[in-house]
Amino acid sequence: MATAMQNRSTTLPYRGGSGYVARSSSSGLYDVLELILDKGLVIDVFVRVSLIGIEILTIDARIVIASVDTYLRFAEAVNRLDLMATETQGLPEMMEGITEGGAESKTKGMLQGAKEALFGDEDEGEGDRERSTSRRRSTSATTRRRRRSSSGGNSSGSSSSRSRSKSRS
Amino acid sequence: MARSDGNAAKYVYGVVRAADGSPPKGRGINGEPVALVTLEGLAALTSDVLDEVLEAGRDELLTHSRVLERALEGGAVLPMRFGVVMPSAESVRDELLGAHRGELEAQLDEMEGKVEINIKGIYDEEAILREVLEGNPDIAELRHSIHGKPEEATYYERIRLGELVAEALTGKSQQDEREIVDRLLACALQVEVGQAVHERMAVNASFLVERDRLEQFDRAVDQLGEEQADRLRLKSTGPLPPHSFVELGMEG
Repeated sequence: MATAMQNRSTTLPYRGGSGYVARSSSSGLYDVLELILDKGLVIDVFVRVSLIGIEILTIDARIVIASVDTYLRFAEAVNRLDLMATETQGLPEMMEGITEGGAESKTKGMLQGAKEALFGDEDEGEGDRERSTSRRRSTSATTRRRRRSSSGGNSSGSSSSRSRSKSRS
Repeated sequence: MARSDGNAAKYVYGVVRAADGSPPKGRGINGEPVALVTLEGLAALTSDVLDEVLEAGRDELLTHSRVLERALEGGAVLPMRFGVVMPSAESVRDELLGAHRGELEAQLDEMEGKVEINIKGIYDEEAILREVLEGNPDIAELRHSIHGKPEEATYYERIRLGELVAEALTGKSQQDEREIVDRLLACALQVEVGQAVHERMAVNASFLVERDRLEQFDRAVDQLGEEQADRLRLKSTGPLPPHSFVELGMEG
């Protein structure tokens, strides 16, 4: 990360300074993932990597985007909006207000959540845990089980809260 | 356990001009040194791989990206998609560089001095949902009619509400995507608009930008970001090698 920033600043005089746009080099894996996996030169016959797991994951996530689950999450999110003047707050809404912080993570994109479960957070440098999860990712046959276990395991909660605080900052 | 062995299988990162390819610095996948396989004017950035099947883990993906990014500092780079392993250096010469010489050279010329910048825009959830309610009285009314009622009693209404919200969001993102792409394309050569990979994603587009105009492009992004600050967050990734703007045809 540090080297990428240095390189950029030596070759590029202006890379923004308004604070309204988040900039990164390719060190944020989430942001380049689709480019690396879907774009670029390829000779199909020489693709030797098992990407089946990732494809399944992507397809799953896109189905989820247009599902009842998504609709219910959107409905919940609009219901939690505090429309100040238009509604008087009753006790149930006050209670909802307390848990409102959780709404964003629930409506956070499934794909992002899934990718975080697979690849970890986009920050670099958290070596061992990610390394050990990527180690298990070698064959396609076990993909589904791995995905389930990684998203159901203790990593998912922490990665979603991390991502939420990131998006707020 | 051969190192930099001509007969070892080669992971291929991308193609550069041999003249630009001062010996690459740094390590590739699995810590193997990055080496050039050259054929006349062309060079492939490669490293040895021992295993037949490569793992698509976080480290491998990031390494692929970083090797290409480093190479981009030296001149035009045609990035390979992740995961191309060729059986030997000879195969890289024959079946990649030799077989596709014409299109590789043409694309290296075309991509000289150009980079890819990926722009993603994600709506602020609260702001965009408010916009949806304000702009769609029917949605606001449906929300009002089920508000405060028990979830079990309004299950289908809630699904309908969410569906309407999702539709309204799609409409908004199409409009915003068009506006953002039009604005930024004024400072770029080409655009490749990708799919939204997040349900609140307004735009996901890659732009091919001349290095000379990168500053102008960045300013345009900043200006957009500032204008939209209360409703969406822009993220700019790059400069990247032109992943979205290169292709191998059927030549050879």
